[in-house]
Amino acid sequence: MSPVIELDRLSKSYVVPVRDAGIRAGLVSLFKRKTRTVEAVKDVSLSIEPGEIVGFLGPNGAGKTTTLKMLSGLLHPSGGRASVLGFEPWKRPNDFLQQITLVMGQRNQLIWDIPVVDSFDRNRVIYQLGREVYRQRVDELTDLLDLGELLTKPVRNLSLGERMKCEVAAALLHHPKILFLDEPTLGLDVSMQRRLREFVARYNKETGAAVLLTSHYMADVEALCPRVVVIHHGEILFDGRLVDLIEKFSAQKTLVLELEESTSAEALALYGDVVSASEGRATLRVPKKETAEVTARLLRELKVQDLNVADPPIDEVIDQIFSGAAR
Amino acid sequence: MVRAIRLLGVFLRIGLLGEAQYRANFVIQLLETGLGLVTALGTIWIVFSQTDTLGGWGPAELAALVGVYFIVYGGIQLVVAPSLQKFMEDIVSGNFDYTLTKPADAQLLSSLSEVRVWRVADVVLGICVLTAAIIRESMTVGWPQTLQFLLALALGSVIVYSFWIILATLAFWFIRIDNLLQIFWAMYTAGRWPVGIYPEWLKWTLTVVVPIAFAVTVPAEAVSGRVSGMTFLGAAALALFLALFSRWFWRQGIRRYSGASA
Repeated sequence: MSPVIELDRLSKSYVVPVRDAGIRAGLVSLFKRKTRTVEAVKDVSLSIEPGEIVGFLGPNGAGKTTTLKMLSGLLHPSGGRASVLGFEPWKRPNDFLQQITLVMGQRNQLIWDIPVVDSFDRNRVIYQLGREVYRQRVDELTDLLDLGELLTKPVRNLSLGERMKCEVAAALLHHPKILFLDEPTLGLDVSMQRRLREFVARYNKETGAAVLLTSHYMADVEALCPRVVVIHHGEILFDGRLVDLIEKFSAQKTLVLELEESTSAEALALYGDVVSASEGRATLRVPKKETAEVTARLLRELKVQDLNVADPPIDEVIDQIFSGAAR
Repeated sequence: MVRAIRLLGVFLRIGLLGEAQYRANFVIQLLETGLGLVTALGTIWIVFSQTDTLGGWGPAELAALVGVYFIVYGGIQLVVAPSLQKFMEDIVSGNFDYTLTKPADAQLLSSLSEVRVWRVADVVLGICVLTAAIIRESMTVGWPQTLQFLLALALGSVIVYSFWIILATLAFWFIRIDNLLQIFWAMYTAGRWPVGIYPEWLKWTLTVVVPIAFAVTVPAEAVSGRVSGMTFLGAAALALFLALFSRWFWRQGIRRYSGASA
């Protein structure tokens, strides 16, 4: 199968106004604008196959949203090429727009004052769906997302989580082949996040749609994305499987010990960095290469009840990458 | 075209649903319209208690003008103004992104997206005043005048719509342009009187800079069949030019949006 999304050295730079603080500077800037060029995305190349779920990771301002906006046709790149479903996205032909969808966690497209189902109806007309097909899809999505009575409530009366479920449903009525999800779980409680994740996974499985997702919540990425792309300062740092990311960037392993007698942190420090130690439980950090040796020593020299070797939490790995510690 | 009508249909329905949530709004708005109408007709009555004609316009013709004024006012307030107001809010909030990802013309969507249904009342009242003026003064309004009136109104609508699109498009560059719209409304109030009675510079402004003359005065003149062929030709030329220019300008705006926004 040929890829649904292909980027070749895609770049985007902005010219942004620069202004010092204060009224004086504000007045000056009314007449004389100082500007600065920001390279938001630099030479990004990658390709995504049909049915893939790819997670975009990166700190705020890394260029994730900018990339997503270029791929959904909102932004013109300043360099490079991109092809989405065979189209150049920024030309925004209707045939292209009909097959994609964009969900942004911090924005809403449902109409505030009227029941949810009427916003759905607007999308039915915009996407030119037949009534039969529309009915069927609303039923289907109502079922999957448990929308039930939410459909007849005005949007302003919904909780954030309920609204997000409806937003997602509205964005999928036309059965897009590609989903661009920008922070879809932002601000949701843990169980609602999980519901949405499960739904996206299921939608992907049943329709074979490709999903490109950005999220600050590692749990989203861990649960959904076999493949991750790490972006930092507009450049791709890593593109591959999540497990390989951890393998590549974490130089350490975590050892969790249960000891028969409580041992002082000083004594444990002989084996590795002590993360925590109390009442017979201890967590150590050791360099990956020395894991086997340290484990053997621990078992030999201390009365160990239980020992567990683990990768550090993915949050920590990512944090290390972005703070430059792991490079 | 079918697409546009379908979209208008669904937005009309949504507008009706939205307004139905706030019924008090309807009453207040009806009051506002009624008050405006009384003031407009009252001032005409005062003026004509002093004189017989005003710049060549008799009382009935001026009442007809007030009728047209309200029809056009209602028309703008019904769809164009609220939709483009919302469009400008969407530019500020970033929600315009959603409009751009829809498989329909963005200008069309932005021009129709909000319908203030109750504004139909303005249009209806305007029609009533116009009809009353015609009947009371037993003006002879036959087919030629009716056709002229409708043509003038259609051209005027195109001109005003294009003008609004141009104003709204400025939001792509300047983000907040609410003040500009205030200027439009201030100028529009001047349209309650025939443009011909104003001093030359203002007449010129109201014809070319803010095209109120073509939207209100010309259709009102057409009712009594007083519009010359030249005026029609001028209106048609301006309508065509503004329609094309506003479309071009809008596209520049979209290009700007997708080029620079973060």
